Amino acid sequence: MEDKQLTEQESLQLIQQMISRAKNNFVDTGIGPILWGAVISFCSIVQFLIIHFQWHLPFDVWILALVAIIPQIFISVQERKERRAKGWDDDIMNYVWLCFGVGVFIVNFLNNVAADAFNPLLNDYREITGKENIPNFWSYGSSYLLFVYGYPTIITGAARKFRLMTIGGIVCWVSALVSAFTITKFDFLLMAVSAALAWLIPGIVLRKNYLKGKNTQHV
Amino acid sequence: MFKDLDPILHSQLRLAVMSLLIGVKEAEFTFIKEKTGSTAGNLSVQISKLKEAGYVDVVKQFKDNYPQTICKITPQGVTAFEAYVKALQTYLPK
Repeated sequence: MEDKQLTEQESLQLIQQMISRAKNNFVDTGIGPILWGAVISFCSIVQFLIIHFQWHLPFDVWILALVAIIPQIFISVQERKERRAKGWDDDIMNYVWLCFGVGVFIVNFLNNVAADAFNPLLNDYREITGKENIPNFWSYGSSYLLFVYGYPTIITGAARKFRLMTIGGIVCWVSALVSAFTITKFDFLLMAVSAALAWLIPGIVLRKNYLKGKNTQHV
Repeated sequence: MFKDLDPILHSQLRLAVMSLLIGVKEAEFTFIKEKTGSTAGNLSVQISKLKEAGYVDVVKQFKDNYPQTICKITPQGVTAFEAYVKALQTYLPK
């Protein structure tokens, strides 16, 4: 590009072209959403199988979700290094996902406290009345989590105009409502589907776009 | 009535730089160079002119032991860009 004078039409075309180039700056490598979509879907399916077949694993499968924080830190550092332009909403998005992480921790903590408080009462009630078909607290615990999953996903999808992710977030909220009426093991199937649609599949699409953009740059 | 176009912005490369910077919070020199397809020397000269006009802020720093130049549009630059686009609209056939 040279430093030449422009006609008014050329000026407008140039403005549109440059704004569009700034917009198409694919900095999201997609690895983060793929990682979390895969981990949450996998843990949910294993949890479903544990309940359905009454397996006894020597460890809690959800520890994987905690372990996944380690590669996520490396991914974030690497993405920050690669990023050569910072968008207006980048800081806001970072805060949204940070709040999401803290939110998941708080909901899990509250669920555990509530389950410890209510489940013994429910067990006593079951023994006294002889009614076996009484839901435990965890029948509703996953509903809160699914609701929290939907929030940042919809915000990110809407802010980045990424419809697939917005739909994934809406699926999380619909699953949150449906899971209030399903038994615990099916709640985990809903969670697996929601995580796949909210993060795994959009992540794969982001990854493809990122690699496509990278290859175009090297042509 | 036709409005005067800001001579600082009414040049291809400077307008390209401002149009890129209006869409992002800040950008590295290498990012602007790649998106505008300009040479480093020419881009450097044009960014200096934008800086002199008070339209962009330029921060030079080190990242992983390499020099890094960060450019950011200033509020004055945003005002000038908006005024330029408005002035441009007066030239368009209605």
